[in-house]
Amino acid sequence: MKILVCIKQVPDMESKFKVNGEGNWYDSSDLAWRMNEYDEYGVEQAVQLKEQIGDADLTVLCIGPDRVKETMKKALAMGCDRGAHIADDASYGRDPMEIAGIIVEFAKDKGFDLIFTGMQSQDRASGQVGVLVAEMLALPCVTTIIDFAFVDGEIQVKRELEGGIKAKVKTTIPALITCQLGLNTPRYPTLPNIMKAKKKELLSIPAADLLSVDTRQETAAMYFPEKKGGGRVLEGENTDLADQLIQILKEKTSVLA
Amino acid sequence: MEMEFTREIYWNVGHGFLTLGPMYLLALTAIAILAYGFLLRINVYKQGQSLARTDNPGQRTVNTIKTALLQTSVTRVTIPGIFHGLFFWGFFLLFIGTTIIVIQADFTDLFFGVKFLRGTFYKLFSITLDLAGLVAVIMLGALFVRRYILRPEGLETKRDDALMHGLLFAILLTGFIIEGARMAVTEIDSPLAVWSPVGFVLAKSMSSLDEGGLRSLHRFTWWFHLLMAMGFIASLPFTKFRHILTTSLNKFFADHGPTGKLATLDLEDEEAESFGVVTLQDYTWKDIFDADACTLCKRCQDRCPAFTTEKPLSPMKIINQLGDMAFQGKMDAVVDTFTRDAIWACTTCRACQDICPASIEHVGKIIDVRRSLVLMEGEFPGEEVMSAMEDTEVNGNPLGFGYASRGEWAEELNVTVMADNSDVDILYFAGCFASFDARNTKVAKSFVTLCREAGIKVGILGREEKCCGEPMRKMGNEYLYQTLAMENIETLERYNVNTVVTTCPHCFNTLAKDYRDLGLDIEVISHAVYLDRLMKDDRLSIDGADVSCTYHDSCYLGRHNDIYDAPRQLIGAAGGTITEMEKNRDQAFCCSAGGGRILAEEKIGSRINVKRVRMAAATGAHHLLSNCPFCLTMFEDGVKGAELEDQLIPKDIAEILVENLKKKTDSAARGPFIHSK
Repeated sequence: MKILVCIKQVPDMESKFKVNGEGNWYDSSDLAWRMNEYDEYGVEQAVQLKEQIGDADLTVLCIGPDRVKETMKKALAMGCDRGAHIADDASYGRDPMEIAGIIVEFAKDKGFDLIFTGMQSQDRASGQVGVLVAEMLALPCVTTIIDFAFVDGEIQVKRELEGGIKAKVKTTIPALITCQLGLNTPRYPTLPNIMKAKKKELLSIPAADLLSVDTRQETAAMYFPEKKGGGRVLEGENTDLADQLIQILKEKTSVLA
Repeated sequence: MEMEFTREIYWNVGHGFLTLGPMYLLALTAIAILAYGFLLRINVYKQGQSLARTDNPGQRTVNTIKTALLQTSVTRVTIPGIFHGLFFWGFFLLFIGTTIIVIQADFTDLFFGVKFLRGTFYKLFSITLDLAGLVAVIMLGALFVRRYILRPEGLETKRDDALMHGLLFAILLTGFIIEGARMAVTEIDSPLAVWSPVGFVLAKSMSSLDEGGLRSLHRFTWWFHLLMAMGFIASLPFTKFRHILTTSLNKFFADHGPTGKLATLDLEDEEAESFGVVTLQDYTWKDIFDADACTLCKRCQDRCPAFTTEKPLSPMKIINQLGDMAFQGKMDAVVDTFTRDAIWACTTCRACQDICPASIEHVGKIIDVRRSLVLMEGEFPGEEVMSAMEDTEVNGNPLGFGYASRGEWAEELNVTVMADNSDVDILYFAGCFASFDARNTKVAKSFVTLCREAGIKVGILGREEKCCGEPMRKMGNEYLYQTLAMENIETLERYNVNTVVTTCPHCFNTLAKDYRDLGLDIEVISHAVYLDRLMKDDRLSIDGADVSCTYHDSCYLGRHNDIYDAPRQLIGAAGGTITEMEKNRDQAFCCSAGGGRILAEEKIGSRINVKRVRMAAATGAHHLLSNCPFCLTMFEDGVKGAELEDQLIPKDIAEILVENLKKKTDSAARGPFIHSK
């Protein structure tokens, strides 16, 4: 079985974000980078599937500048067999359609039986790339899965819906799956696997060679939300508190008018 | 005939072939069994990996003789230690005495006609052995009462113990019966009798027997005594008696430090199939030998913070499980025998290793198993630990803060960042907690304020500083530790740093000892010692406000580095009156956060930090002073858990100093600072 796992390198969400010079994305300096959380579930599920069926070949794909190779190495250390790095310094500005187009261009003639993506990225969070790839490759697509099983050549997954409702879905392969929190606990790479990962195939392909789709969206502006007034904690005896509250409601609202 | 102060050796049993023949045959047999027994054991030790522990043989020999003869280790626990020490000396003198007799009777006298057991020497010889025997009997009795009647909690009593008590009592008592019977016949009216008071009393009590009866009793008991003594020698390798040799020898093979430093793994080793300990054969011969040196004295277990808070770890049990595996030739995964919960419970506080009278190294054995779990299986005690590891990989700290904000705590104090200006007196390696944890940034600020007041130029690495890697290393993640260490070393070397001061004993121990294996060789000082120097050099002036406090020795300043006095002097100089907790200095009880446990939730048993905070509250002091961000964090949490927030305020030493700082007006008048060493 040939499996493709698409991952994205995102900033650590604890980083201090600044808006970049063009005002259309965050500034990439002073950031620590890691694998998009939802993509980690994808990598883990792909590796678990390989452990289950034995005969599988896992390609991990990542689009971005040279630094994304560090994140790809983690995927390789977790158990992916080879890496495809789509070298692209401008990836941060590309819309979901372009990104999906690049992946499709890479994947279309390679006969992948199964494609894993995260349900969304932690930075742009469009949630579109996986679905668009499936559409362009004419594959069945199941999104936001929280449980995965491969039984007798068929995929059986659970999806998480609004309000805690779950749905069970079955599909045949080839297919595309987007992964949600709760699917699994991504493994911590072992030292021998970290060492092996250093020697695994990691090809770099210029994004220009795979660009087949025009951009559909443009980020007009990126800005921090406006700071609004904070809350106020009232202190004192209960009777005073009630008086204070009434006073505030009278002054600032019209509910008692 | 003039009275000659001596006695006939082999009186009544004869000195001919009929005595010496069977006697020496028995002795040779006993020695052969002893040798064979130990050869079998040596083959078991050899299952382990090689380890060099014979460097500096002179010092090792001196240490061994000191520990064995002076009983310095065993007497650290006073009462049973003195019982054991006096028993040992009694028995040892009897052994020497017997040897002297053999030398005269079967060598010097037999071949050269030389007798030295006469006159004053004989009198002294006689009374020494007589009293040695008495002391040995009384002490053995005391040990018997302790083991079989008082039964201290946790003391495991096995068949070996019964055999040892029985055999030793038999040897000592038959010795006295032989002496009494002989004296009853030969010395009862002699002035020599007073030089064997115990024997004399026994001789008197036997005086109703006629000479024939006494001689029969003597002859029978003599042979029985000999048989018992030879049985003792032969049983050495097969019973806990072996500790006479193995425990002593283990001092010879002891780790010569630096104290608490772990073996640095060669992670680039292409030949290595696995890292850490998976099966017994991954341990070294010394690890197996350690098990043979254990006497089950349970001192480790009594002091273990995990064991005493109902966690499934006993250092003693670990050592003996290891021994059982080695001697039963078990090939199972070591961790399945020890259990995961036991392995992860260790705080690496070193209380076990420090007190062990048998020089056993417990901590490394536990870390070795953790290493295999982490490096080979990617396993941790909980998901919270795994995410702390991942956070550290990404941001260089286990707390998950963005690396770029690491130096922000220092901005309000305008502390020099090395990247801007590396012309400083000291580099303050703040560590993760002082950099990010709100409670501990106060300690960092206090320390910098004190240095400022003393006219010291302090620099920090700020965002270039990474976690020292200590919690990761102790959790078994040698790979992450070495990655962090190499980055820190590269940074420190780039700025040509000469002196590093830390407020975290874990950073201190790691930078000062562990980084040496990776090539860093600079002076590292803990803040307690550094501030104490500043005080002694009269660079700091503190108002002696009366502060009622107790002081907690962190494991990594205390047992790992023997720094006990400097912090106390510092507190004293600041006007603090320390009421010591019962467990202090080298006996201090861990706060729970060592061994990487700072990253883990404490899910089993009662809480270690609450227990320690209660010990502090029992002193009646109002402040619980410490020197470690992990301790401080655990105590802040502990006073809440113990509901002692109103009684006990946890603080770092630096904080109490700053609070009592007397502002000097003539700071410009002071000369340039020279480090006193």
